Amino acid sequence: MLDLFLFGFVAGLLALAMRRPFIAVLAYLYVDIVAPQKISYFLLASLPISLIVFVAAFGGWLMADDKRDARFTWRQGLLVVLLLYCGATTLTADFPVEAAAKWAWVWKALLFAIFLPLTLRTRLRLEGALLFMVLSAGSIIITGGIKTLATGGGYGALHFFVSDNTGLYEGSIISCVAVAIIPLIAWLARFGTVFAPSRAVRLFAGALIFSCLLIPVGTQARTGLLCIALLGILTLRTVRHRMLYLGAAGALAVIAVPFLPDSFTKRMDTIENHEADQSASTRLAVWGWTLDYVKDHPLGGGFDAYRSNKLVIKTQDAETEGNTTSIDSATITDQGRAFHSSYFEMLGEQGWPGLFLWLLLQVSGLWQMERLRSRWRKRAAGPDAGPQVQWQAPLANALQQAQVVYLLGSAFVGIAFQPFILMLIGLQCGLWSYLRRTDAPTARPVRRGVTVGPRPPQATAAAPPA
Amino acid sequence: MVDYFAIGLTHLLLALAAWRLVLRRDLDRDPEAEETQGEPPRA
Repeated sequence: MLDLFLFGFVAGLLALAMRRPFIAVLAYLYVDIVAPQKISYFLLASLPISLIVFVAAFGGWLMADDKRDARFTWRQGLLVVLLLYCGATTLTADFPVEAAAKWAWVWKALLFAIFLPLTLRTRLRLEGALLFMVLSAGSIIITGGIKTLATGGGYGALHFFVSDNTGLYEGSIISCVAVAIIPLIAWLARFGTVFAPSRAVRLFAGALIFSCLLIPVGTQARTGLLCIALLGILTLRTVRHRMLYLGAAGALAVIAVPFLPDSFTKRMDTIENHEADQSASTRLAVWGWTLDYVKDHPLGGGFDAYRSNKLVIKTQDAETEGNTTSIDSATITDQGRAFHSSYFEMLGEQGWPGLFLWLLLQVSGLWQMERLRSRWRKRAAGPDAGPQVQWQAPLANALQQAQVVYLLGSAFVGIAFQPFILMLIGLQCGLWSYLRRTDAPTARPVRRGVTVGPRPPQATAAAPPA
Repeated sequence: MVDYFAIGLTHLLLALAAWRLVLRRDLDRDPEAEETQGEPPRA
């Protein structure tokens, strides 16, 4: 039954794409995030559905979509360079078979991130892509949220539709992503036009945000808690009544603690006392190993290079009873431990050039969103500002906040090429390109002698100073 | 049961969103942008 339903849903989307090719792009976002072929047992599971939808999306764009407004931004160029570089390191990888397996999905995720902005030509398309990403991730998050409320969850114990530790179905990854999309949900609830603001929309958005906050509790991923704290601080920047917000957030935290499961508070305590925690100590040991490794391999060891590490980890657990403190020391040996950090993942796998490219991609996103935010905030505050200039700055801000949360979460989880995040980068490129194009005539005052026709944005933008 | 609820609810909303998008003209043409571009430049 579920099989038929999911098959019908994807088939329905593709049928709609016959009329509007952009729907196929949305279908790809959905398939890549929800992975219905993994939930399904036979129908979708037996089809190369991801490939079919990608061909529909790309083919539809190539044959039927208007490409006059499509712009190739320099950050997409950066993604192309990163793609080529990763391809090169895969050819010389330490572990060719494992590297090829990771390359098999990384190149697709990068390619789609390069392609996505070309299709995001209108405001409605930006909103549609965002809506599909949020609702698709929401299908996993709502399940996790309800199960957390019912059972309290547990590290590695919270089951989503599939017990598959890939994509968004892995506990730490969904924790980070769930918190990162909170600003995007808030934006959709405020400025959405597909589901225009109403009491029902606000109620759903509120419940979804609550679910997002429950995911780190349910998966007991410490990363998620840090992400929530960071998002709380970031929100201070835009919130209207700061003192009220601080008071409410503090009160909420105090009220929430007694309701958190015991196992959760115990696990979160290890953030402070990390020496007692093997998982945290292993991380520090792997990061040390990576720094040593790149001294000999500055260009990286290709995907999955961590497999060659051998670690000796010392843990210390201090327990105080009355006046006496006893310290339990233990030495653990381990090998082939994953990087558990996107920064070290990039450094170990792609070396210094790869880390530099990746950081440039991230930092340039923060910078672009900051520029858009400040420009459109001024525009929105102008005397003759209408409703059509109100949504841009908050969207840039939401995309920036999502990225900052991701950049913190990714310090503890190896998600440098997580497709969902690459889609967010694609959205940033799309928004940047869209606003630069539509903004051209008014943002850069045109001096005498230059007339603006119905569709000459480049001519105006490139007009030589008189 | 929870899984079915979450899948059902989100897929219903996704389907409704796709349907509404298909019916809207501004999915492929941005009237707002065209208007802005068509405006005479401010001095």
